[in-house]
This record gives sequence, C-alpha cells and structure tokens, in this order.
Amino acid sequence: MRAYTPKDDVQAKAYYTDRYYVAPQVPKSEVETDEVFAADLAAIKARFEVKEAYIQVEQMVIFINPHDIYGVLELMRDELAYTQLSEMSAIDWLAKDNTFEIFYQMLSMTKRKRIRVKFFINNGEAVDSVEKLFRSADWSEREMFDMFGIEANNHPFMKRILMPYDWQGHPLLKSYPLEGDEFAAWYEVDKIYGKEAREAIGPEIRDTARVDRYDSERFARLGFEVPKGTKITGDEPRNSQEYQEEGGVFLIKKYTKEASTIVDDPQR
Amino acid sequence: MAQVKNRLRPFFENITFDREDNELVLNFGPQHPSSHGQLRLMLHLQQEQIVKAHPDIGYLHRGMEKMAENMIYNEFMPTTDRMDYIASSSNNYGFALAVERLIGVEVPRRAKVIRMMLLEINRLMSHLFWLATTALDIGAMTVFLFAFREREYLMDIIEGYCGARLTHAAIRIGGVPLDIQDTFISQLKTFLDKLPQNIKDYEDLLDSNRIWLMRMEEVGVISTEMALSWGCTGPMLRASGVAWDIRKEEPYELYDEVEFNVPFSDKGDNFARYRLYMEEMRESAKILYQTIDMYAKCVKDAETELMAHAPKYISAPKLDIMTQNYSLMQHFVLVTQGMRPPVGEVYVPTESPKGELGFYINSQGGPYPYRLKLRAPSFWHTGILTDLLPGHYIPDVVSIIGTTNIVFGEVDR
Amino acid sequence: MAQHKVNYTQDGGLPVALTSIDKIVNWGRSNSLWALTYGLACCGIEMMASGASRYDFDRYGTIFRASPRQSDLMIVAGTLTKKHAEFIKRLYDQMTEPRWVISMGSCANTGGMFNTYATVQGVDRIIPVDLYLPGCAPRPETLQYGVMLLQKKIRANKAGNAQKPKRLM
Ligand code: SF4
Repeated sequence: MRAYTPKDDVQAKAYYTDRYYVAPQVPKSEVETDEVFAADLAAIKARFEVKEAYIQVEQMVIFINPHDIYGVLELMRDELAYTQLSEMSAIDWLAKDNTFEIFYQMLSMTKRKRIRVKFFINNGEAVDSVEKLFRSADWSEREMFDMFGIEANNHPFMKRILMPYDWQGHPLLKSYPLEGDEFAAWYEVDKIYGKEAREAIGPEIRDTARVDRYDSERFARLGFEVPKGTKITGDEPRNSQEYQEEGGVFLIKKYTKEASTIVDDPQR
Repeated sequence: MAQVKNRLRPFFENITFDREDNELVLNFGPQHPSSHGQLRLMLHLQQEQIVKAHPDIGYLHRGMEKMAENMIYNEFMPTTDRMDYIASSSNNYGFALAVERLIGVEVPRRAKVIRMMLLEINRLMSHLFWLATTALDIGAMTVFLFAFREREYLMDIIEGYCGARLTHAAIRIGGVPLDIQDTFISQLKTFLDKLPQNIKDYEDLLDSNRIWLMRMEEVGVISTEMALSWGCTGPMLRASGVAWDIRKEEPYELYDEVEFNVPFSDKGDNFARYRLYMEEMRESAKILYQTIDMYAKCVKDAETELMAHAPKYISAPKLDIMTQNYSLMQHFVLVTQGMRPPVGEVYVPTESPKGELGFYINSQGGPYPYRLKLRAPSFWHTGILTDLLPGHYIPDVVSIIGTTNIVFGEVDR
Repeated sequence: MAQHKVNYTQDGGLPVALTSIDKIVNWGRSNSLWALTYGLACCGIEMMASGASRYDFDRYGTIFRASPRQSDLMIVAGTLTKKHAEFIKRLYDQMTEPRWVISMGSCANTGGMFNTYATVQGVDRIIPVDLYLPGCAPRPETLQYGVMLLQKKIRANKAGNAQKPKRLM
C-alpha cells in the first residue's frame, strides 16, 4: 500500500519526532509589565474588542475582530502615533482549521515600540483594505493576494504582483509544492514555444543529487573532454586549456607567463 | 534571417494606440541598463512628462519564503545572501539575529565585534556600489571607476575572511564561524586611512558638477508623510526629515557602545539622499575604527569564544566535536534534523544599508519555520515610484531610480 | 622593373598583411565581442565588477551595450525566472547574427540553489548556450577566462560557419 501523504500540507516535514517531545514556548509576558503598551492597549480597548493581548520578544501582539482592522489602524495611526505599517501578510492555517491568520506589523517612531495586530479569517473571506491609511499596504495586499489568494475589499488594483498575471495557483499556500505543479513546470515552454515543444525540450531536471554516469565520464576527463553522444576511445587529442592556440594568434600578442607581473599588495 | 518559430506576440499589454488624449505609453525594462536589475515601469507620458507610473516587479521572484518553509534554519542561511546581494552579510545577520531572539541565546562578545565589523564593511560596500551605479546612470563614468576600485579593496578583506566575494554566508546562528585573519585589521586600517581622501575625491567630482546638480537637486522630492505612509526606511526616510536609524533607536549588537551620528536631511530630494550616503560612509568608517579598538580589547582580555553555548540549538566548537562523543552526537542531530526552536513568533528589524530589514519567523516547534516573512526595504522603495514619478520628466526617472537604491533580489525575493 | 629584396609576406616588408578571409573576419569578431548588459541577479554584480576598474573588460574588446541590436554576445548573469523567460527569448531573437551566449553562474546553468516553482531550470531550455561558467557567483576571473575561451572557439570556426543559426529545437 502506498504511504498516505496529506494533500493540504505538502511542505517538508521532520522525518522523526520524539513521541513525548513537547516543544517549549517563547515566553510571553503580561501587557501590564510595560506602561507604554498598557496605555496603548487601554486606548484600543476603549473603542474596539480585543480578544487577546500579550508581549512576546519585546513586542505587543493583539488579536482583534477582522472587521475592525481599518478602525484599529486608523486609531493607532492618528492617536497613538504608530505612523508606519512595516509589514503585513498572512499565515496559512488551512490544514488545521481552514483559516488564515493575518498580521500587521506597526511601528511608532516616537515611542520606539512595535505592535503586531492580528486576526483570523476563514478561507474564502476577504480582508478590508487599509491602503487608504498606509500606502505601503497597496503592495503588501497585492502580494498577499498573489501568494495566498486572499483578496482585499476596496483595493484599487487587486492584481498579482510577483507572479505573472496568467499564473495559476497561489505559491505560499501549504498545499502548493515547493517545486511547483504541472502548470508551473511547463510555464515557460508553453508560453514561448507552445505545448507541442514539450517533448523536444524535455522535463525539468530538478534532482540536485543526480549524477549522469556518462557525463561524469566525459567531463571528468579534464583536457580530454568529448562531446555528448560520441564514443570515448581513449586516444582523444588533448583540448588545450591555454588562453591561446599554440601557434600564436593572428595579429594578437602572444601571451607569456614570464612577462606578467604579480601584484602582492592590492592596496598598493 | 529566419527566426526560430515561437509563439511570442508583440507585447503591448495595457497599451492602446490612437488615444484621444495624446498620451504615450512607454515600457521601461525589465532589462534596462539603468533599472538596477529587473524593474519594469509602464510610464504614461504627456510629451516628456509622466502622468502615471506603474512599476511592475516580480521578474526576480525566486520563491525564497517558500524555500524557507522547506529548509532547516541553518540551511536557509546561504539563501539570505542572495536577497540584497550587494551587502550579503547584513542579510545573514538579520536572519541570525531573528533566530537568536527566538531561541534566546546571547552571542559572545568577540563574535559581536566581528559581526559589527562585517556589517559596517558591508555598508561601505553597498554605499560605494550605490555611488558607482548611480553616477554611471547619470553619466559620470569616472566616479564609477573610482568607487569600484575602493569596493574591490573591501572585497579583498571580506574574501580573506570568508572566501567569497559576493555571497559571504559569513555569519552563523549563534556567532561567527571563524576568527578574523591576521591581515584583516591591517588591511582595514590601510583602507580606512585612505577613505576620507577617496570620499573627498568623489565629492570634488560631483558636489559642484553642474550636470549632477541639475539632475539631483529638487528632483524626486519625497515629503515626510509620503515616506512614512509608504513604509520607507533607511536613507530614504532620513533624507525626508526623520532621523530614524535602528542602530541608534533600538540598538542591537554593540551599537549602543559605539559613538556615531545619524545624518539626516529635510530636503527629501535626490541630492539629499546622495549627501546622506556620503555622510553615512564617514560614520561607518568611524564605527569601524572603534570596533578595531574593541577587537584589540577582546584579544587582550582573552575572550576567545566565537559561538554561543546552547547545546540544544547550536553545535559545539569543532575541537569538541572531534574529541568528545556527546558533542559529536549533538552535532549530528543538529545537522541532519535541524534545531527545533520553541513555539512562538518573532519580528526582528535590523538596519541594513538599504533600510529596515526585518525577519518575521513563526515557529511551531518543528525544524522548519512554519512561516518566514522577509521584510525587505527595497520593496517599498520601489512601490513609492508609483506616487513619486508622476510630474517628473523622462530623464528624471533614471536619477530617481538610482537614488532609491533598490536591489531586485530583495524586492522580489 | 626594379629588383627589390623585400619579402612582402614577412612582417615589416610592407605595411600589408596577407591573410585569409577567415582569419581576418574571426580576428574582428573575437576581439570586439560586444556584450548585451544582461545582469539578472547577483551574478550581474560580478559582471559589472569585471567591467570596472580592477578587472577592466575593455582590454578584451568587450564593451557592454544596452541594445541587443548592437551586441553579439549575451552574458546571462543571474537567475532566470519564469516571468522573465519570454523576454530573454525576445532579446535573443533581436540580436544580430552571429551571436553567442555565455551562461554565467549556476542559476543560469541549471537553476542552481533555487529549486523552486518560480525559476527556469537552466537558460538552455529557452535559448542555445555556447559556454557555461560554474560558480555562485563566478569570480570576474572566471568570466574573463570564459570570454577568452569563447574567442578561441570563434577563431576555430570558419567565418561562414559561425553564421549558421543555432537552433534550440
Ligand atoms: S548563481 Fe548564485 S550568485 Fe549567481 S545569480 Fe544565482 S544565486 Fe546569484
């Protein structure tokens, strides 16, 4: 019987895990331990529902409701001085509970603090665009759409950004293999030469450990290489490794090793 | 002569001719000598003036984030080299620091000093490269040759340390693999002593050059709001009047022990950015002088540790591996299965030569990161072209792209 | 008619060099290989370095041109992605013949370390390649050696032969 491989998560897996191994946690601390964060959290809590908040590795993480995101970021930008959206993207939890986790990484330059705002959406739902608040979200949201297929409502130009417009599939989903699917494998051949050329060009060679027995025979013979397909007889002429042919080259000065100087100190 | 038959049709996507409003659509790139890589710009022109710009990226998208999800942490280190390939060590460092924060190890002091030296050498290399290419785009061939000459010297030093010119992989999670070679300090000193004169040479050539001034001054002005809103960092932000340098504000490594200034300008134009790069080179030199002293002190205090001691995550020194059984076993497990950091997530920003380079790592306790997001500064510095270019003229495009200092390994990842 | 003792066929006889068409054509071709600037990624930086001060490519007659119409050598330096693939074909077709291609770096040769969905596994899937340079990134010296080998290859050709178009398929 063939081993069962899950289709919803095809990423590399640890091939051995101790059954009794319990992974430790990166320590989390209470928000109250930091006054600045505590004040910010109180300001956000006054207007919006905050599901969970903690501090991890010097940054506050808060979980909110998906439909509040525009309001929360507006509040943070205008009243709490978080003036920059450094980064936003998604995490794929489809295999676990069919959701995506979206995070927004905020930076306040006056307070020197960073907050990560997060929420969960179900598969197939869209997020609200914050492009009106932070222009940088324009491209981030397009990238998120490209990589995960999550659309942003009210975005002015919701198209792929990194992959070509006619690409199929969303590469960063866990169900997308690292080496691409059938469409990806033949993309350039189909586009340039057409499907009928597939046979002539042949499939991609992706096995990095592959050693062609004949190739190593041919190319390992330094100075006596033979072209592909010809028989090795053993008395091939020597291919010179020199820069110039032995007899010298027409109109060109002969290269002699003795005439060249070697510089010891490059910074002379 | 007949061409090989292929299916490519003339490429006029989004382009209509015979337009009522007399608008011309110009396709710039993706293989344009001054696009600093593979940037494609669709420019809508009214005569020479740009009315709409649409940058198209992704021509160097190599799937690094996906690769990270399929690699153990140490395996991913050489891949980070290829992000901002002009200053590879700064990417190595950003990744190493993020993982170190995640697993919570402290790096020995001597390794920190060496890392700082590498980082600042990389900053110098990157800025010199920026100067060379931008000057070349604007037509100043001499500066290109001068700046590359100096960059080669720095490459020699780095090459002596790690063996590679471009893709260093010189930093490991938990420290550095090697001590610096004997000639490192003397070579660096020779270089640094000449550097002020070299920078002055460039400035003499450029600062009062009429062509340079005309293409730089009052061109590509980025206001503070725009820079903040577009997520600009590094020199792009500092040229727009915000003195924000992560080395100063959220110090990592030993940056809180060294003395340096954060130059900034409130002009926001190309010339301000050019001046900033020059000043930052001087500041880097200052930091390097101080790290040389710090290194000498480390040697004097006989601090020889180069890797952090954390047997769960980091291999023991080579000597132990070769002589002690337990170290060998642990090394074997770490190499074949990879370290398993605790469950949690971390976002760590560092100040790379281009701006804020951040690594977001989400670990689920396995040997592979569950999600790794690379926050590359150039991505947003390319995005800002959408809003920045309209209103400018065609020749300005080249100088604006030049001063944004974008690198496509980083934009597309 | 005067009987003079000058040996015309030797150097210094008269400022005339007698040669075959092949030799003179190949001399011209091999020593003015104008390369298309095709820096795609990291290897492109090393290509620039070989054009810059220390390595000075110009002494081989190799000058970087920005237009495919003016160049006869394409140095594919860097990772070719699937999105970019069609452009390399387009530019290759626009180059005048005879034309040569150097694939620089492991990415261009085989896809290199980027064994992912987005990279083309070797430019020779799209265009014919004359010379592969190993390395990640190859040093400028490697590129120079490669260009010298290409010059040798050109010299070994019949002048007419070089014009035979190379076909991938
Ligand atoms: S071969 Fe290496 S250095 Fe060259 S483009 Fe590929 S990754 Fe970059």
